[in-house]
Amino acid sequence: MKRFFKNISQGAVTLMKVWRREYYLVFHDAGVMLFFFFLTVAYPLVYTFIYNPEIVENIPIAVVDNSRSEESRKLTRMIDATQGIEVWDYATNMEEAHRMENNHEVYGILEIPSDYARRIGRQEQGVVTFYCEMSLLLRYRTCLTALTDVQLAAGADIRQQTLDMIGLPAQEMGGMPIESEALMLGDPTQGFASFIMPGVLVLILQQSMLLGITMLAAGIKERRRRNGGIDPESIPAGPLTTIWGKTLCYITLYLPICVYVLDLVPIMFNLPHIGDFREMYLFIFPMLLATAFLGQTISVFVTERESSMLVIVFTSVVFLFISGLTWPRYAMNSLWTWVGDAIPATWGIEGFIRMNSNGSPLWEQSHPYMMLWLLCAIYMVTAWLVTHFSTPRLRPRLATRS
Amino acid sequence: MKLTYLKQALADGLHTLLSRKIYLVCLIIVPLAFTWFFIDMMDEGLPLKVPSGVVDLDNYQLSRQVTRSLESSELVDISQKLESYHSAMLKVRSGEINGFFMIPENFQRDAIGGRTPTVTYYCNLTYFVPGSLMFKGFKTTAVTTAGGLVQTNLVAAGIPSSLASTTIQPMTMQIQAIGNPWMNYNYYLTNSFVPGIIALMVALVTAYSICEEIKRQRSRQWLSRAGNSIVVALAGKLIPQAIVEIAIGLCCQAIMYGFNHFPMNCPPSHMVWAMVLLVFASQAFALTICCLITNLRLAVSLCSLTGILAFSLAAFSFPVSSMYPPIGIFSYILPVRYYFLIYIDQALNGIPLYYSRTFYAALIVFLLVPLPLLWRLKRRMQEQVYLP
Repeated sequence: MKRFFKNISQGAVTLMKVWRREYYLVFHDAGVMLFFFFLTVAYPLVYTFIYNPEIVENIPIAVVDNSRSEESRKLTRMIDATQGIEVWDYATNMEEAHRMENNHEVYGILEIPSDYARRIGRQEQGVVTFYCEMSLLLRYRTCLTALTDVQLAAGADIRQQTLDMIGLPAQEMGGMPIESEALMLGDPTQGFASFIMPGVLVLILQQSMLLGITMLAAGIKERRRRNGGIDPESIPAGPLTTIWGKTLCYITLYLPICVYVLDLVPIMFNLPHIGDFREMYLFIFPMLLATAFLGQTISVFVTERESSMLVIVFTSVVFLFISGLTWPRYAMNSLWTWVGDAIPATWGIEGFIRMNSNGSPLWEQSHPYMMLWLLCAIYMVTAWLVTHFSTPRLRPRLATRS
Repeated sequence: MKLTYLKQALADGLHTLLSRKIYLVCLIIVPLAFTWFFIDMMDEGLPLKVPSGVVDLDNYQLSRQVTRSLESSELVDISQKLESYHSAMLKVRSGEINGFFMIPENFQRDAIGGRTPTVTYYCNLTYFVPGSLMFKGFKTTAVTTAGGLVQTNLVAAGIPSSLASTTIQPMTMQIQAIGNPWMNYNYYLTNSFVPGIIALMVALVTAYSICEEIKRQRSRQWLSRAGNSIVVALAGKLIPQAIVEIAIGLCCQAIMYGFNHFPMNCPPSHMVWAMVLLVFASQAFALTICCLITNLRLAVSLCSLTGILAFSLAAFSFPVSSMYPPIGIFSYILPVRYYFLIYIDQALNGIPLYYSRTFYAALIVFLLVPLPLLWRLKRRMQEQVYLP
């Protein structure tokens, strides 16, 4: 019994030593500091600055008005007045409009046919065509929304006139019998930064931590190569003590960073941030833990400090997509859903944006939360195995030497 | 004499390229795997059938008709019929559905009696694409339902049904999506992100392979084997890499435009040249960074930091014209931005080559930028000090 307690206290002391040594290693490594602190501080700012204008406004278009009538000019004015579209110029014909488009002056062409006004006057349907350039779907979406609104508004105007002409009570007949109201949840302004940033913030946490951890691990391997298989900087300890000691270091460093990345940045840039941050903090904790273990697991692939960047950096794009932020997970095939399931950030992003943007409490995110704890357990085992098999057996050799 | 040095340098470069696994992974496997990942993941083109719900508080003939027309839409999948706003909101927040359509109490009575009931639809825009598609589906249903009722009223008032239907929609806008009429996300994203990854990997490998020589204290030897000429030394190292990268880049293009029939409205050579120039320009970009930054390991870090920012800054999704100008200006220092512009002009829109001339020229300018800075790199290679 006494020995048992002694073992425990010895283990705790070794754990503390590993933990303290890891702080020392982190703060004496400019590369790791760059990832742990500079990246997590600067990237949220840089990314939000890129997307902060939120919406696309005043997309320049050219108008080919073959009708040249009061109706067509009114339509053009209505389109010009929308938030999304700006009538950049009139073109005399389609050829000239195409030339403007080819010169990248305009991103769309509105063609009003010569019989537009005549058809409306005859109570036939007037048809105008809008040719949209499709390089960016955000532009297309903006044009589509603006033009649909104009179509509904212009249609209502014309309908009113027609019914007045016929002599029917327009309000009863032509006014819409049903109103409809659209409410955008999570991102009421329909802005791009408000949509993408909460997910990117979580991903920044994971990727910076992975980069830092793999770089530290590669540093150990480099020192071992230089010193005949022994790393003079590391504390001799069992694999489980080693991974927990290191994890405690990373977690304690990241908990304050999380407050900045997940709480201060959304407040600073007025991004959606309606949930209870204390609950988000609780939610993100297992993600940090799982990421720390995942980092120690994948360290096995990295043998050089620089190559950690080559191996990790491109995965940011993969992880962003696989989390379903851009292409939803329900439309992925099962292979990519499984791969996504294995990445802490997938669940971290899913749960965090629901809590952050939709104001969901933690208990509603039990599925992602449980999955994160499950990943913690799995990656702890893998990290333990990797550490167990990659650590050179020092003690027997030292024993024989002494 | 110079030619023998060049041959020797090329042989050395090829040897390093083949001897390390990391080059194989970064130059061949990553771009190809990434292309496969994108094309396979977004195989459907558009994530239709967004999981959504309907809250029908009226449950009369008209409201059930609305539900049926929602169910028949290709955009949404009415997977849940819910009894209250609260339960629907719960499902949204737990992620089972992306939004819901709510029909108020006494909907039919009010609609026919002219008391203008309001239908409300909630779209969760935290996931932008499904949210937008769902909004479109819901809006169409709401508008056509209202239109149907107006038509009934008009016909009942004695207006011929042909006139009634034009009265409901007296003007319509046909919106033609040029180049990508399917709104295919695969075409849209793969065309920009795959070159982005290629540019990133090219830059990283370039910086890493130069840095490695200094780190392993072989740079002086490397330089002397190239006849003490930095140009020959770099050519020996970078040309074999470029050949592999160009081959892989063209392979990715073949997968996209050839096997998967992505829209390509220009002669293939236009895109081939764009890829060739992109690879060289990315190498030159990384080389410039290596020349400018004294600490070469920092240069690798910087390449990875800018390479990953390029996906946002090169405006694959959010246009440069809408960014803050001091931020947007940075998109013009990235080679992949010009490749993207060439792709838009050539493969997507198929406009004459003349209009893309500046983009090709810009890619060529990238090749010239590092030349006046090479002496800095040479001096560092002779010093051969690695700062970890």
